[in-house]
Amino acid sequence: MSGRRRTLKKHLMRLFPRLRAGSFQITSRPTPLYNCIAFAAGVVDEWWEYRRGYTWPNAGRNPSLDEAIELFAGLGFAVCDNDLPETHWEKIAIYGDHAGYTHAARQLESGRWLSKLGKLQDIEHKRLVDLTGGDYGDVKQIMRRRRPVKSVG
Amino acid sequence: MRKRPRETNSENVTVANAMEFQSRFKDLARRWHKETSHLSLASRMASHSAYEQIIEMGWAVVPLLLDELRRKPDHWFIALERITGANPVPAECEGKIEKMAAAWVK
Repeated sequence: MSGRRRTLKKHLMRLFPRLRAGSFQITSRPTPLYNCIAFAAGVVDEWWEYRRGYTWPNAGRNPSLDEAIELFAGLGFAVCDNDLPETHWEKIAIYGDHAGYTHAARQLESGRWLSKLGKLQDIEHKRLVDLTGGDYGDVKQIMRRRRPVKSVG
Repeated sequence: MRKRPRETNSENVTVANAMEFQSRFKDLARRWHKETSHLSLASRMASHSAYEQIIEMGWAVVPLLLDELRRKPDHWFIALERITGANPVPAECEGKIEKMAAAWVK
C-alpha cells in the first residue's frame, strides 16, 4: 500500500474510530458529486438529500429516519430484520441518530458493504458496525429488494 | 514608464481589510472542510459553526463563495441562498452539484 493511501486510511480511521485498517479498502477518489444515499440507490452523479434544492425522490422532505425508509421503499426495498447476505437479495442499511438519518450503505453479494463517506471516498468495509459510534450514530434499519436477474449471454 | 499613483492611507487600510477578510474566509472554509467532509447531509455540514460564521460575513463573502464554486463545486449553495435570498438553480438541476454550481456562477 502506498504512503498516500495509508495516510488516507488513517484519516478515515480518525473520523470513524471503529474502522480497522484490515477491515476496509478505499475504492474511489473523493468527490462532492454524490453522497451515500444516492450511492446506496446505485446513483453516482447526484446528491440525494431531504433538503429543498437536492434530489429526494418519493419521500417527504424532512430528515427523519421514516422518510429515508420511505425513499428506499419507493425504489423497491422493503424492511427486513437482518444484515446477512442472501442470494438474489440486495440489502441496504440506514444509519441514524437522534436527529434523523445520517448515512446509508449497500451490501455486496460477498456480504461486505459499500459506503460513500460524505464528500470523501467510497469504501468497501467488512461490517456495518465499522461506521457506528461517531457522527453516523447507529444502524437503524436494514432493507432489501430482489437483485435484478443477470442475463446469460 | 508611467508612475503608479501613490496609495493613500485609506486605500492601504481597505486593501489590508480585504486581505484579512479573505484570509478569515479561507481559514473558516478550511476548518469547515476538515471537520464536515465525511458527513452525508449538506444540511448538517451547513450547521457547522465555521459555515455559520461564513454566512454571517454577509454579502461581501459572496464573490469568494462564487470563486470557490468556479474552482471546485461544493456545498456552498445553502450559504449563498441564505445570504442573497436567491436560488438560481432550475428544478431539473437539483442534486446535480456541477450544474447547481454552474447556475450560481453564470
